[in-house]
Amino acid sequence: MIGFDAILSSFAAALHYESIAIILGGVLLGYIVGVIPGLNRAVAIAIAIPLTFYMSAYAAIAFLIGLSKGTAAGSAVSAILLNTPGEPSSAATCLDGFPMARAGKPRKALKVGLLASVVGDLLATLLLIAVAIPFASVALKFGPYELAAILIFALVFIAGMAGGSFLKGLAAGGMGVILGTVGLDPETGAARLTFGYAELMEGVPILPLVIGTLALAEMFVQLDEYRRNKGASVIKLSHDKADDLSFQEFKATLPTVFKSTGVGAFVGALPGLGPSVGAFMAYGLAKRSAKDPDSFGKGNPNGIAAAEAADNAVIPASYIPLFGLGIPGSVSAALLVGAFMIHGIQVGPLMLRDHPEMLFTLFSGMIVASLLMLAVGWYGLRIFAKVTSVPPHIVIPVVIFLCLAGIQVQGYGTFGLVTVFAFAIFGYFLKKFDYSFVTFLVAFIVTPMLEMNLRQAVILSGGDIAILLNRPIALAFVVFTALMALHLGWSGYRQWRQKRLEASGN
Amino acid sequence: MNFWSGLGVAALAVLLLTWIIPTYGGRGFAVGMHPRTLATLGAWVMLACALALALLSAIALLRRRLAFFRLPELGHLWHQTWPFLFVLGFIVLVDRFPLTWVAPFMIGSLLLLLGERRWHVVLLTAVIPALGLYGLTAHLMRIGVV
Repeated sequence: MIGFDAILSSFAAALHYESIAIILGGVLLGYIVGVIPGLNRAVAIAIAIPLTFYMSAYAAIAFLIGLSKGTAAGSAVSAILLNTPGEPSSAATCLDGFPMARAGKPRKALKVGLLASVVGDLLATLLLIAVAIPFASVALKFGPYELAAILIFALVFIAGMAGGSFLKGLAAGGMGVILGTVGLDPETGAARLTFGYAELMEGVPILPLVIGTLALAEMFVQLDEYRRNKGASVIKLSHDKADDLSFQEFKATLPTVFKSTGVGAFVGALPGLGPSVGAFMAYGLAKRSAKDPDSFGKGNPNGIAAAEAADNAVIPASYIPLFGLGIPGSVSAALLVGAFMIHGIQVGPLMLRDHPEMLFTLFSGMIVASLLMLAVGWYGLRIFAKVTSVPPHIVIPVVIFLCLAGIQVQGYGTFGLVTVFAFAIFGYFLKKFDYSFVTFLVAFIVTPMLEMNLRQAVILSGGDIAILLNRPIALAFVVFTALMALHLGWSGYRQWRQKRLEASGN
Repeated sequence: MNFWSGLGVAALAVLLLTWIIPTYGGRGFAVGMHPRTLATLGAWVMLACALALALLSAIALLRRRLAFFRLPELGHLWHQTWPFLFVLGFIVLVDRFPLTWVAPFMIGSLLLLLGERRWHVVLLTAVIPALGLYGLTAHLMRIGVV
């Protein structure tokens, strides 16, 4: 286990000026992306991954984590000033943020949002550090039976919880599993689903897949929506002293911030739920427990604080299953796995054994990112408020160009461009027909690990399923998976029956 | 929507199970698990879920007496299709000419198509990203990465 000196040296590495500059770059870029409506965290990370190819592994991941955190905080700006959330998870911020800004207090609303974001993010990061390491220490003792059972459980859980239909979630997961098996079989060396293309021997290249399905497909969706939503008006920031946030006003929101951070961290730690669920749950809780629930939706600062604290707490908490078990619970966590893979590092409990210094430096970098988020947000408030006026018809062509340039610069050539285009069509249909993208991406990412563990489990057991009786943890997860599938199937059936009854009643 | 997407996914799963995975899914002797097993399992999951989705949607459509098939409006269809054709055309151009040459043309023409008429906005938006890419490529070549 890593010693105290190593922890100190990891903090020193994170506080090195080069490290700070990289994290600052990530936070700044994330803020700008978050502020621009239509660009989201997944698009930003997908486009930024090619930029990190030439960085060291730590710098690349720190940059992407900074970016991820920056987008979460930045998306509140457009939610408050434009009533258009930069990220879907900031939709809850609009409920009170926009009325407060319209009532002549835009700066106050932005500052409440920023401080709640930073506190939520920082506390959830500390929770991640406290929980992930004991989690990973336990997970290191797991064998292939346990890991295979946990991975299958996680996939079913994500399919059920990621929103939308459970059936669509599972179907998307099935597609992810199939694409995850493409390439040379690690045991027999047989080429699987490569269709004779040497480029597919090592599997479907992750970069064209994520850029195509996340960024380029999103731009096609945006182009479709742009026709319908042209011209939104932005609230301008004033220099009015009455619009400043006082310490007393901020202090009054602190209990809500702490409660909402707890909600966000809990939701984030469960794979698949995502920040939107966390933000709305925290908002609902704040409203229910408030003395004046009627003031919510009319510009109550506690509404902004609840939504933003939970939204930002979800992101670090979603890294708990990632660093603890190697299971990415969200799209941004899955993209981080991709970035780790590109740099030759297997993320998960093995990181604690093989790269403990890197793990601790990353944790330290995350704390630095939280603090930089505060500085960037506080001093850049007016600039970011101006960025919200960048129209989507300027953003879309530039992002499409960046998607294709990212592939070209990495030397994927025509094959990469055609792959990115094919995945853009695939991603467009996933979005249009509401198939769970998280389940697809997580299934694609974890399939090699799932296959390796399943294969080892089959070989070790000699095909005898009764061996599970001697592996209580694996057996428990198999039972949980079956119960979960039954529960989700049953609740889906009840919802369908309810809708049918309502339709026949009408 | 659910009915047709369910049928589409089910058709894809059938294609995978009957032709693609058996032909291209990998051959050879394996101890324990065959190279095709996991892909086949994934395709079965897709098929089962998609069929269930199509079936449930069909029942809902029948009960509400809604039409199974509605022709989409041509204008709407064209609006959804042209961005794909535009990017495809751009990919064909990139295959023949350097990206830094094609990029300003691509960004500028898309801006014009989206209704931007201020020449300075078109010019700056088209040129700045291409210049950035040129600088990055030159730097990467100088340090020997590309």
